[in-house]
Amino acid sequence: MFINGFIYILGETLKGLYRNRWMCFTSTGVVMVTLLMLGMFMTINLNAQHITEVVKEQVEMVVYIEEDADRATVEELGRALSGHKEVAGVQYISSEEHMGRLQQQLGGMLEGYDTGLENPLLASFEVKTVDPEAVVRLAGEFETYPGVAAVFYGRGYVEDLFAVTRVVQLVGLALMVGLAITAVFLISHTIKLTVLMRQREIKIMKYVGATNWFIRWPFFLEGMLMGFVGAVLPLGILQYLYQIFTQWVTANELMFINLLPLQDVIIALAVFLVPLGVVIGILGSTLSMGRFLKV
Amino acid sequence: MIEARNLGMQYGRGKQLALDNINFFIERNEFVFFVGSSGAGKSTLMKLIIRELKPTGGVLKVFNRDVSSLPRHRLPYLRRNIGMVFQDFRLMEERTVYDNVAFALIVTGKSRREIKRRVPPVLSMVGLEGKAKAKVTNLSGGEQQRVGLARAIVNRPAMILADEPTGNLDPGTALDIMNLLHSINLRGTTVLVATHNREIVDRFRKRVLYLENGRLVGDEQKGIYTNVH
Repeated sequence: MFINGFIYILGETLKGLYRNRWMCFTSTGVVMVTLLMLGMFMTINLNAQHITEVVKEQVEMVVYIEEDADRATVEELGRALSGHKEVAGVQYISSEEHMGRLQQQLGGMLEGYDTGLENPLLASFEVKTVDPEAVVRLAGEFETYPGVAAVFYGRGYVEDLFAVTRVVQLVGLALMVGLAITAVFLISHTIKLTVLMRQREIKIMKYVGATNWFIRWPFFLEGMLMGFVGAVLPLGILQYLYQIFTQWVTANELMFINLLPLQDVIIALAVFLVPLGVVIGILGSTLSMGRFLKV
Repeated sequence: MIEARNLGMQYGRGKQLALDNINFFIERNEFVFFVGSSGAGKSTLMKLIIRELKPTGGVLKVFNRDVSSLPRHRLPYLRRNIGMVFQDFRLMEERTVYDNVAFALIVTGKSRREIKRRVPPVLSMVGLEGKAKAKVTNLSGGEQQRVGLARAIVNRPAMILADEPTGNLDPGTALDIMNLLHSINLRGTTVLVATHNREIVDRFRKRVLYLENGRLVGDEQKGIYTNVH
């Protein structure tokens, strides 16, 4: 009994899709375009997030020690910094090490060049914070510690970067939510038209004693299928476009744009877009049916 | 089988009563005509019986059950026991005669084998043998109503409800359809026919319930249309 009903429902779904192929094409197209845009924003957002993370990883501050600070003050400062709960790691760099680094950076230009002067570079603590965004606040705090000459953390640049990424994320999120709602709205309207075209048939079904679920299933499956196809196609398109973009970035040696690998992006998109498409399709079809079932 | 007690129906507040204080009792296996002019309340009464509408007053019992208290999810099971025939046939136009009739069995979950066994005899009973594969849009009005009848009886319902079944048919075809309904009644199915076809009512001499402006103004065994009108 059940199998017969199932075969019928499946057959009805396919027939329904064929009979209303243009309408289905439109609905699927609507989902496709919306999800494509959604996917694009998501890709941009994912990468913005990734770039921010990478940059955040690199954010650190340098606490320079006063030249005349005695050993006890330096040790006390080191303890205070490493004991701070918002500090992830502290490394002491002596003035000699600084000089060594400088010589390395300058590619041996200073080698054998002895000015006879004392090393002018200050010793320092390189501090990594638990939350990179706390760097600005903590720099202000550490400046007041005894024995501290100055604190550097890329003032201005870090603040701007965090502000920009926050705006990008918020705008992206707002757009994504807006687009998802639009998609539900559009597909429910397009499916409502298909239902409207089959209103007569639904009424007949009710008269001969069909249950609401018997009537609903083909529309439910139709919506699901349209949502699925409407999500998989943009996924393919996005994969193609992303591939081209990453190739372009590599070809133009814009390596400072630290992009996420294709596979990571596609998996994230698939996990998000395919269920979303299916849910949009189901919501669209069920939301549009209620009124017609009340016979 | 059907009992109406002080039955009333109003489509909206302040509107005229579509049915006003109706009382009747219909036994199993009866053949009853509901007659009256357009707007008398015949179709409203039919819609109440299949619970397409809920009465706004009184009680209506179908198969000894108050239809007002029937939960929505039970409605399909009530309707499977009532075969509906309409003036405009209400067939699925894209489909064949066989599909239209089989449809009533599919929705009740009958197996394919059962459907194959049941549909052909019903088609031959209504005189459509050999037309199973025809699209319903290629049939005449009378033939389409036969499909409607076949669909109504294929589930072996206890009752047939026919709302103006001959309204769109010429007199000869109308008589054929009524004869079919009569033979269905003789096999033990209760038949209720809403009509304003005077000739048909007078010819069959069955029980007649007369409706006028929503009120039941007459109830006669072996009645004729002209008694009141």
